[in-house]
Amino acid sequence: MDAKTIIESLTREFPEAVSKPEIESEIRIWAYVDWAKTKEVCQFLKDSLQFDHLSNLSGVDYPKRNEMEVVYHIASYAHPVVLMLKAVLSRADPKVESVVPVYWNANWYERETYELYGIVFENHPDLRALLLPEEMLGEWPLRKDYEGFPNKTARNLV
Amino acid sequence: MGEVKSKKRSGAFGEAPNDTIPGVLTTTSGAICNFLKKTKAQDLINWGRKNSLWFMTQPMGCCGVEMIAMGCAHYDTDRFGIIPRNSPRQADVMLISGYVTKKYLPALKRLWEQMPAPKWVICFGDCSISGGPFYESYSTVQNIEELFPVDVFVPGCPPRPEAMLQGFVELQNKIKAKKDRGTEY
Repeated sequence: MDAKTIIESLTREFPEAVSKPEIESEIRIWAYVDWAKTKEVCQFLKDSLQFDHLSNLSGVDYPKRNEMEVVYHIASYAHPVVLMLKAVLSRADPKVESVVPVYWNANWYERETYELYGIVFENHPDLRALLLPEEMLGEWPLRKDYEGFPNKTARNLV
Repeated sequence: MGEVKSKKRSGAFGEAPNDTIPGVLTTTSGAICNFLKKTKAQDLINWGRKNSLWFMTQPMGCCGVEMIAMGCAHYDTDRFGIIPRNSPRQADVMLISGYVTKKYLPALKRLWEQMPAPKWVICFGDCSISGGPFYESYSTVQNIEELFPVDVFVPGCPPRPEAMLQGFVELQNKIKAKKDRGTEY
């Protein structure tokens, strides 16, 4: 299955949810996906298009656009195509459906994205902080407007 | 009977015994300790302490590898009485050998409280001194010396095991000169 076939079958199955698909090269394609339909798209990708490996899940903050994005990199063992899905969320209330029922390894990725960006993954089995201490929840340190960095250098240096 | 026992106990261990036993001088272990600190006996005690600095093997970052290398046979730290111990209850020296994150700080404090006095701290590596390459991070704790009584800083990224050994020797010199922060003189 090549990149063009994948894009065509994806847009045919979800004509409204999937938008702006692009073929970057033969092995890299990407598309925007409606945040409410993320889980259904992933289920279709896994069941029908042999995308059986979620290799990455992360978040991006765009304060000027007042938007946040969740980025899914989904790869396959059957064909050499890596698909990048982007779900655009509102910055005031970032939430998206969890894909843990589809890809089990999304569990820790989603917990990390939650603790660093504050993106809530609905119906996640165990949504709590992964690496940060519990009391740092609510600071969301990887957002662009985070101001909790230490503004003093250590005393020993100066 | 119970009344007599409690009276005796207050005389032997209490802060200010009201009724003294005739012919017997009562004191406390703290008073003996404070008295010994003013005498030459403290020099002997410090000689013993400085020659048995057992450190806790608690590697926290890549400097912890240097700590393990120093504890192995090649550097032969036994000649200084420096022996790695696995339990904080048997250790005298805590090496902070890496950056301290906000999540790890409670565990580090707990390890420090588990160590019996007298105890000393050595900051090993740039990370523990100032945060090192991570000094601007959102999760790094800075200025460790405000949280622990640090005696010796060993700079380097990471320092060689010889530098760590030199840090121990400096700590021994401080204990010998009664200038260490592990004991109140």
